[in-house]
Amino acid sequence: MKPKLLIGIFSIVIFTSLLMYNFGNSISTYVNFEQAENRTNSHVVGKWDKTGDYGFSRETMQFSFHMEDEDGNIRRVVYSRPKPNNFEQATQLVVIGEMRNNVFYANEMLMKCPSKYNENPDFEPAETAGM
Amino acid sequence: MIAQIGNLFLSGAFAVSFAGLILYALSSIKEEKKFETYANWLWMAKGLFVLISSGALIYLIMTHQFQYYYVWNYTSLDLESRYLFSAFYGGQEGSFMLWVLCGFLVGAGLIRWTRKPYRAPVMFVMMLTQLFLLSMVVGWDFGFTKIGASPFRTIAQEMPNAPFIQANPDFVPSDGSGLNDLLKSPWMMIHPPIIFVGFAMMTVPFAFAIASLWTKTYHEWIRPALPWTLAANVSLLTAIFLGGYWAYETLSFGGYWAWDPVENASLVPWLIGTAGIHAMIIQRKSSRAHKASLFFAILAYVAVIYQTFLTRSGVLAEQSVHSFVDLGLYGQLLLFILVITIMGIGFYLYRYREIPSVDKESDFLSKEFMTFTGAILLFILGFVIIIGTSSPILGRLFVDNPTPPEIQFYNDWSMPIVILMAFATVIGQYLFWQKHTWESLAGKMIMPLILTSIFTVVSIVFGEVRNLYYMVFIFAGWFAVIGNGAVLFELVRKNPKVIGGTITHIGFGALLLGIIASSVYTEPLLDERTTQYNSRIAAGDVFDEEGFPVTQPVEMFELEINRPKLVNDKYMVTYEGFDVSDSPRPGQQTYRLKFEPIDGGDTFYMDPVVYPMMTTSSMDNIDWSVDPHVRTGWLSDVYLYVAGSKYVAGRNEEIDQERRLQRMAQTGAEQDSTIEDTQKIEIKEGESIDAGPFSFTFMQFTPASEESLPENTQIGVRAQVRVEHTPSGNAYDVEPLFAVYTEDGRSYTYSPPLKIDRWDMDVFFSSIYPETDTIELTVEGLDEEFEEDWVLIVAEKKPFVSIVWLGTFMLMAGFSISILRHWEREKAVKREEE
Repeated sequence: MKPKLLIGIFSIVIFTSLLMYNFGNSISTYVNFEQAENRTNSHVVGKWDKTGDYGFSRETMQFSFHMEDEDGNIRRVVYSRPKPNNFEQATQLVVIGEMRNNVFYANEMLMKCPSKYNENPDFEPAETAGM
Repeated sequence: MIAQIGNLFLSGAFAVSFAGLILYALSSIKEEKKFETYANWLWMAKGLFVLISSGALIYLIMTHQFQYYYVWNYTSLDLESRYLFSAFYGGQEGSFMLWVLCGFLVGAGLIRWTRKPYRAPVMFVMMLTQLFLLSMVVGWDFGFTKIGASPFRTIAQEMPNAPFIQANPDFVPSDGSGLNDLLKSPWMMIHPPIIFVGFAMMTVPFAFAIASLWTKTYHEWIRPALPWTLAANVSLLTAIFLGGYWAYETLSFGGYWAWDPVENASLVPWLIGTAGIHAMIIQRKSSRAHKASLFFAILAYVAVIYQTFLTRSGVLAEQSVHSFVDLGLYGQLLLFILVITIMGIGFYLYRYREIPSVDKESDFLSKEFMTFTGAILLFILGFVIIIGTSSPILGRLFVDNPTPPEIQFYNDWSMPIVILMAFATVIGQYLFWQKHTWESLAGKMIMPLILTSIFTVVSIVFGEVRNLYYMVFIFAGWFAVIGNGAVLFELVRKNPKVIGGTITHIGFGALLLGIIASSVYTEPLLDERTTQYNSRIAAGDVFDEEGFPVTQPVEMFELEINRPKLVNDKYMVTYEGFDVSDSPRPGQQTYRLKFEPIDGGDTFYMDPVVYPMMTTSSMDNIDWSVDPHVRTGWLSDVYLYVAGSKYVAGRNEEIDQERRLQRMAQTGAEQDSTIEDTQKIEIKEGESIDAGPFSFTFMQFTPASEESLPENTQIGVRAQVRVEHTPSGNAYDVEPLFAVYTEDGRSYTYSPPLKIDRWDMDVFFSSIYPETDTIELTVEGLDEEFEEDWVLIVAEKKPFVSIVWLGTFMLMAGFSISILRHWEREKAVKREEE
């Protein structure tokens, strides 16, 4: 019984450590545009800045807009997909991608909308995220 | 008045629950039947009170009493009555009430059916959970603290500081803010009730586990608990399926699963509940695994409440795809999860030494060991997902402001676990019905393994699978299907009553195959130009205006009206136009796309929809939403939505202009004079082309009279063109002339302008193209860009989504068959007792 128990405890510890290590690596922290300059895969939270021009370009097939992060930095964001549903009504945007030369290239966008419902899909991931 | 009644009865239900809780506790401690009988009456009374209260809320919703915040927030005058009804449980407060009602029904069933020693303690736990749920909606305000958020609170109570309330405390909005269009779906109507039935039923194994620890009877509790746990699982599974199906058909993220916290919230209890079912089955068959049965039964409900806490307390607000408004219930929810956890886990540890366990370990090759392995794997998977979903809390160990884990985290961990599960299901099922040694088992496995290998190779060849890991995954999936299929084949002949588990396991295998096919092997449908462009992007040859290489492939393509494009070398796709209609949603456009398979298959049409979101659009900003069209097939689905269109762009442009004009009017600025512009329009006979607010229809050629033609004319013809101003409906027919004449041996064309005074527009018939039967009109004075109608299409081909659903249905069917079987047994035992 004793050696079995030890092996059991040992494997649980190994498994949990590995899981937590991997989990720690797979989360990052929310940053502002300035901090995003020198990293890959940044998450920036902010608001759509309505004063700048925005829209989808049929030439480049990109949607671009200006966003103000929580510290008031405004940058142009380029997103190479169509304008997400409910972009205009979002009270908060999360863009995930990287900053290059003061332009943020978003691979993913999340829209946070005033919640109306228990299962509120307004805040929709604009990426297929199947298994 | 009605609202006061509703509120009063909610408070009444809360008070009655409290009294009932004490009576059940007394009955459990003193073993006094009398108290239990009274408490059962109170249980019924509580159910009645909550029903009355729910009726009151439904009445307020149906009669559009917008002075109540809940009614205003979730409904509007134009909402169909079925959605008005479902708005009752559409919000957080109402969904708590629905949960209480489901719990009440489950409890009523328990009062009727539960066997003796467990009755009072089981009902005590049921009552306790009801008390907590009711506390979320009683809305008692003590000044220094609040308990719950009442669905009957008025707008004035909700926003006392709002200026319109300050000005007029009796303010009643004329219309509500309505229901989100995405949720106007029959799937979403039935989804919440099913999920709360599942949550309520998941309370039962927890309650029985506590009762078992209380009464120190560790063997018998699983017999009544098992059918309930199975039923809870079927409910949760159905709800998960509905949510996934709805997401797939309605949203534009292009899948049925996104590892979203709310999706995980129902998946984790399901996984742990299933682990519990495995442990209970071992206990029933071989009198082992008592500890595991208790542990999983407790943990499944803890998972339900924990995920409820995560999703409703605002903890996930920063990062959830489903954002919940924090109703100020954080403290109450925290208390709920703490009480449930301490009561369950604490009591379990307290009794741990007493719980029976066997001295002899099971052999590796035994049904007990294999089934237990299955339970542990299910539990581990649930554990991994809980870790991921808890990132706002656990992530703080690593970073200050944690983001959710990357999707990869979930995929990386779940893949090896489910591969192991798939193998365990087959070996476990073989051992479950027959004892085996290594040799005899190996003998049994030869045929399934050969078949599995054949199917796997065929899948790999046809699916062009390159990744070794996926090959193993596919092998595991086929092995689960074929290995369990062989077991089913034998069972059907011997004893068809016991096939539930086998069907479930085949369904699990099918689900794995469906998931890998439909998620990893989804391919975007693109035209040739975009495909080439994407290969240039992949090679790093495309740079943006900043000079950086473009890394993201384009996943959409453009279609111009009536100009077919070849897509994926498989379909000729033609955009044939769109209709605007006001039903069921005002201003929705349905686009017609014709798909013609070039290998001669049947032509089909796709009709994706774009509509303005009524709940969030205003006069000066339309919020467009899409409704994808999914064409389902046995082998593959085509999933498609319109990402943009000329019509939508034009409407946005108009609104933009109106806004600018209004601003100019306000500031008194000079209006820009419109720029004179010349446009050329190519048009076929019978065709119409829109240019801004005007449409040009080329009706027919008409002969030109001699006197209008210059000398030496070789060709002279008029085109009858109808010019219509679409918004006003005014139309003019003009017949501009086109002639070719020779002078000094050279040809000249002659096309005099025809003036439409009213619009200050000149129309010329400037050229003719006999080879395509088109003419060219030149229009001056049109200040609108003219362009052909176009749409942007995002389309995907998803193989074998049907197998995902098939696997899910088999899981449901298998669990249902097991419920019936275990329920019959339980009833038989009860009959013997009586």
